[in-house]
Amino acid sequence: MEIEKVIQKVWPKVRKKHLFPQIPTPKVIEGGEDVALEIKSKQLFISNSFYEKLRDTMDGEEIVEAVLDHGITHYMYCPWDFHTHLTLYNEAKKVVKKKDLAQKATTYFMDVVADTYCVKQKETKIPNLYKNIAKTGVYEVLTSLYEKIWGVDLGSGEHDERVNRLSRIPYLERKRWGESIKKFTKVIQDILEEELENEQQNPQKKPNPLGEHSLDNYSLEEIDRGLREFASAVEDLQEFKETVEDLKEELQEKGYATGGMGRGKGSPIDANLLYYMKLAESYTLPIRKLPIEKRGDLHPHSHMPWEIGKPFADIDVWTSFGKIMPGITQIWTKREGETYGELEGTPDCLIIIDSSGSMINPRERLSYAVLGAACACNAYLKNESRVAVYNFSDALRGNKIVMDFNHEKEQIYQAICRYFGGGTALDLEDIQYLLSRSDNSDIFIITDMQITNLEKLIEFFNQIENRVTAVHLGHNVHSTRFKESTDKKKNISLFNVKNKEDIPKIVLGKIKEYLSSTSEWG
Amino acid sequence: MKNPFEAFHQTAGRRREIPLDKILKSKEETLTKILKGYEDLLKNEAKDLVWLMQYSTVIKAYSIAEKGIEGIEYTAEDIEEFCYALDRSDQIPYLITGPAGVYISALCNYAKEEEITLHLRDLNVKINLLGYRLPPNKKLIVEGNVGDFTGIGLDGGELIIEGSGKNYTGAGMKRGKIIVRHNLGFNTGHGMTGGEIVVGGRIKGLGKIVGGKVFERDHLIFPNEGVKPFYF
Repeated sequence: MEIEKVIQKVWPKVRKKHLFPQIPTPKVIEGGEDVALEIKSKQLFISNSFYEKLRDTMDGEEIVEAVLDHGITHYMYCPWDFHTHLTLYNEAKKVVKKKDLAQKATTYFMDVVADTYCVKQKETKIPNLYKNIAKTGVYEVLTSLYEKIWGVDLGSGEHDERVNRLSRIPYLERKRWGESIKKFTKVIQDILEEELENEQQNPQKKPNPLGEHSLDNYSLEEIDRGLREFASAVEDLQEFKETVEDLKEELQEKGYATGGMGRGKGSPIDANLLYYMKLAESYTLPIRKLPIEKRGDLHPHSHMPWEIGKPFADIDVWTSFGKIMPGITQIWTKREGETYGELEGTPDCLIIIDSSGSMINPRERLSYAVLGAACACNAYLKNESRVAVYNFSDALRGNKIVMDFNHEKEQIYQAICRYFGGGTALDLEDIQYLLSRSDNSDIFIITDMQITNLEKLIEFFNQIENRVTAVHLGHNVHSTRFKESTDKKKNISLFNVKNKEDIPKIVLGKIKEYLSSTSEWG
Repeated sequence: MKNPFEAFHQTAGRRREIPLDKILKSKEETLTKILKGYEDLLKNEAKDLVWLMQYSTVIKAYSIAEKGIEGIEYTAEDIEEFCYALDRSDQIPYLITGPAGVYISALCNYAKEEEITLHLRDLNVKINLLGYRLPPNKKLIVEGNVGDFTGIGLDGGELIIEGSGKNYTGAGMKRGKIIVRHNLGFNTGHGMTGGEIVVGGRIKGLGKIVGGKVFERDHLIFPNEGVKPFYF
């Protein structure tokens, strides 16, 4: 095919122009003649039919160069990554409220930004391409806009008030893209609505000539990273939830599920769970490993010369050549053996989380309790330890989840995110049962401390030797009482969380005076 | 030794000036000038962060605003940008919506365009006094809700509010037309001597009206049998 030869010729030049992006050589597809470009993960596909159609009016090399410039600039500048794409979509959605309209607005905005960047920064044939492709609907307005902001004649005719408004948007100011896409969407909203209505009436959809921007453009790793960054950037849970719900089908088709990438189509996406999972990935809580214990037994460590008065029993006959003579005879120096405690490395963890009425419902707003518990869960699972969950509200009336120790992240998150919203009472028998299922496990409790049977819990914690990381949300008389009562216990550490920034300050399994005196342990 | 980065050197960015750069630069410059005029108005009129809404203060503020905008080349889009700049600002005097409304009215009245559309739906503050003294042959369309004293002293222009207004809308208007898509508050048309106020929704209460016409949901509510003209 002619186009393949053209790509082989043009590709090195285009790569050099864009400073050698890490993108494989573009491929040719026999796609529809209306769409020039398809992008899947990092692979660009150029439509041969589109090329043939435009070949009569434009030089072949120019067509390929312009299409490649457009495609590469999407990788190199806008959207750059999946997080930016999601952010832009989220802002557009705030204006148009509908998924389809927001997707269209995002695609058009990203095209304007990428092409304008290319025209300003590189030697490109993109303007020629716009001169030769059909100018209908939004493209009519956009071509008119390009004429105005690029200063080239694309044969679009008059510029109306709409183009004046569009031309005042700072497309190349990345920091203002959020605000810019809102303005952009508002100005073209009525044309987008018209376009959508036409598409709904006419099953023959008129595609974007330079390709649509969808999840197909990204790999699963990019999607995973993008969601993590998006979870940290959005103002609240509802924003994240709404965006993920919109993209749920596409994410599932890609094989992305709540547990992360590559979990298959079977596992449905729970936007709430995904939010806490991705947000928790942004925080890393350190875990103190169990300290080394002195075991008391001695073992030979190194040699030293024997002197009169030193015990004969320690003489090493093999290195002393069978002689008892000072200076020649060698004895073993012995050292006390060191080993880990009963458990080596990181123990399992029991997460106790309060989901009573005084706590925030994690499915409505960002719950620091759930986020804290999720971070603790991640930290232990990463260390290959198991996690058990005791989620309670009015436990004595059955409002509780008792989940045994396991490695299943998704199940653990489901247990953590469950909200009861009733009274607050623990059933210590449940906790004792869970503790009996693993040796010397750590305990992570997160609550506002407004627990009906707090005294019993304090008494219980004062009896056990497990390491307890207690996190209380906000100050109240109950948290003060807990603090005072457990102050002398070295295995209990108390942290207060007032906002998101306090969460990384939590150290799991921290033991008071651990650093100053490890010898007391054992 | 051959420079390993030679290939990059040859492809160094071209970076040409495009008309977009000029448009944005000129937009910034115009906004700076408009803000400067507004700051001058605030220096004179809202020194103590208090601005009393009185007939004399409005007239004085308007004449300062007229001087402030003298010589500035601007468009309707610049006026809109200014409204959003006020909204984004954390400077306390900027948020006093009285002088802001007088200043925006002056900008609209002296704009080159005969028809001005301000898309203010996303504005957090509700600006008072919009459409003050709107002259004949001028049409001001505001998309979004507005504050108190909208269209007071309207002088022949056409003011269309694609939203709701508050109290004293059209107070003291002489001629022209105010169309409000949704609702209005108390004292609507207080002291108006001529012109028309057409409201698509509800009016909470009329003021003491001298002349002109007021319509509520296509019904003439002033003058009619129950509401007679008031003579000051």
